[in-house]
Amino acid sequence: MDKIELKNLLFLARINASDDEHPEIMKKLENTFKLIDEMQDLNLDGLEPLNNPLELNNVMRKDENKDRNDKSNFLENSPDSDDDYFIVPKIIE
Amino acid sequence: MNFKQQRDAFRERKISAKEAVQNALERVKADQNNIFINHFETEALNIAEEIDNNFENFKGLPLSGVPIAHKDIFCTKNITTTCGSKMLENFKPPYDSTVVENCNNAGSIMIGKTNMDEFAMGSSNETSYFGPVDNPWNKKLVPGGSSGGAAACVAANITSISTGTDTGGSIRQPAALCGITGLKPTYGLVSRWGMIAFCSSMDQAGPFSKDAFGCAALLDAMSSFDIKDSTCSQRKEINYERCLDEDTKSLKIGVIKNLESFGISDSVLKAYEASLTILESLGHKLIEVDFSELSSGICSYYVIAPAECSSNLSRFDGVKFGHRTNKQQDISELYMSTRAEGFGDEVKKRILIGTHVLSAGFYDAYYLKAQKVRRMIKNKFEEMYKDVDLIFMPTTLDQAFEKNRQSEDPNRMYKEDLLTIPANLAGLPAISFPNGFQNGLPTGGQLIGNYFQEDLLLQLTNKIQEVTDWHKMTP
Repeated sequence: MDKIELKNLLFLARINASDDEHPEIMKKLENTFKLIDEMQDLNLDGLEPLNNPLELNNVMRKDENKDRNDKSNFLENSPDSDDDYFIVPKIIE
Repeated sequence: MNFKQQRDAFRERKISAKEAVQNALERVKADQNNIFINHFETEALNIAEEIDNNFENFKGLPLSGVPIAHKDIFCTKNITTTCGSKMLENFKPPYDSTVVENCNNAGSIMIGKTNMDEFAMGSSNETSYFGPVDNPWNKKLVPGGSSGGAAACVAANITSISTGTDTGGSIRQPAALCGITGLKPTYGLVSRWGMIAFCSSMDQAGPFSKDAFGCAALLDAMSSFDIKDSTCSQRKEINYERCLDEDTKSLKIGVIKNLESFGISDSVLKAYEASLTILESLGHKLIEVDFSELSSGICSYYVIAPAECSSNLSRFDGVKFGHRTNKQQDISELYMSTRAEGFGDEVKKRILIGTHVLSAGFYDAYYLKAQKVRRMIKNKFEEMYKDVDLIFMPTTLDQAFEKNRQSEDPNRMYKEDLLTIPANLAGLPAISFPNGFQNGLPTGGQLIGNYFQEDLLLQLTNKIQEVTDWHKMTP
């Protein structure tokens, strides 16, 4: 991974890091990939990917409104809100 | 007092719920190990009084009158839930998690929320924004993680039961390092509703107690089918506490061939070998099984867990809840600075790994491959369970270790999860119980069962604890 790839990765993950921090982050990532890359030597022919251990069927409930979530409770946790809206910096110039 | 003594004392009116809570709160205040992130005096005493005033209604419940501590990963209505992170330092959830609601309904009284690795990412409780937890057996050592506070709480006799979560060993490893019993149930047995997500396909909540009896009673309370968690299983109700009285037939117990080749310390191996003798003396048959795929689990886990974590933690953006930066020139800076300030280094690292392995060009080489390894491990367990009823191995490679080891070699810390990760990848139930004492510190033995065999794991652990005293030792 080079500097440009790391910058792109940090942007994809939406995590700010100064140029001074980049070498340390890079070192940590490369170290972890050393561990993960042990997987590359395994013979995995014929194995289907497994994304959930129980391979459950989806449980569906009736499409009824339960009124479980009161929006005023949720807005109380917002760092900045007004009336029924979350406030964020201007998005469109 | 262990769980049964605590509950019996309430049921026999030798102690009121209020007195039990007062006693537990005194121990919380005297705690020098940083076990709690928050504790609740007024609220806990009010609930205890209500229980005392309605004694007849509460006395028959599975956790009647017993103080409990919840890992600070479980949402508690209008009560701060931090997940060990600056990101959620002031977060007050508008609802209770199903686990907390079930424990409340079972007659327990929450006295506090326990310290943990940030977003459950860690094996030593050192990644917590609120500082590390000390191991009650030796303050210089870690209690394990991520549920380090919850395990230390029971080990230090502050409460007789506590809740934890286990994604790669986060119940069993701290149980082993603190000398108590901890159970990771089958994936889907306990609802994940209101449990802050790390790796959704492996996260599972479970009980801590000194012994199998306390774990059984707490599991009775915690587990329930929950329509609010689409991966929760609907199955026949079992009373785990009553199961303990049933006799276990002679079981076929799988033991791993060449176990010593996985880098297990002498002290852990010594305790393991002593446990094999006990299992045989209880009439069970040991059958050697080949599990050479065991070590591949680590690689798979450290791809899948970060991948799911990068997706799950994308919700923390400073808009709807949690920390928000003051740097708000534009929406991009709001997101990026909020996440840079709110997350600790280990969490950031895992998000970056997860983002990388899911990105175009790397998906097949990492994520897809890791899922195939996951299939390989699950297939291997299915093959082994054709010949054996349970599998027995140590819980950890070594005993409790000194703080700051992570900074020396983080991969060594990850490898510490070698023996616990396979059960998470396959979604199987597993229990860790104290099985020895070496160098002034406890060791843990681990039984892994087939799907939904928690009753068998608890029964056998209970039988072992009838003939051993390791679970009765206190720091």
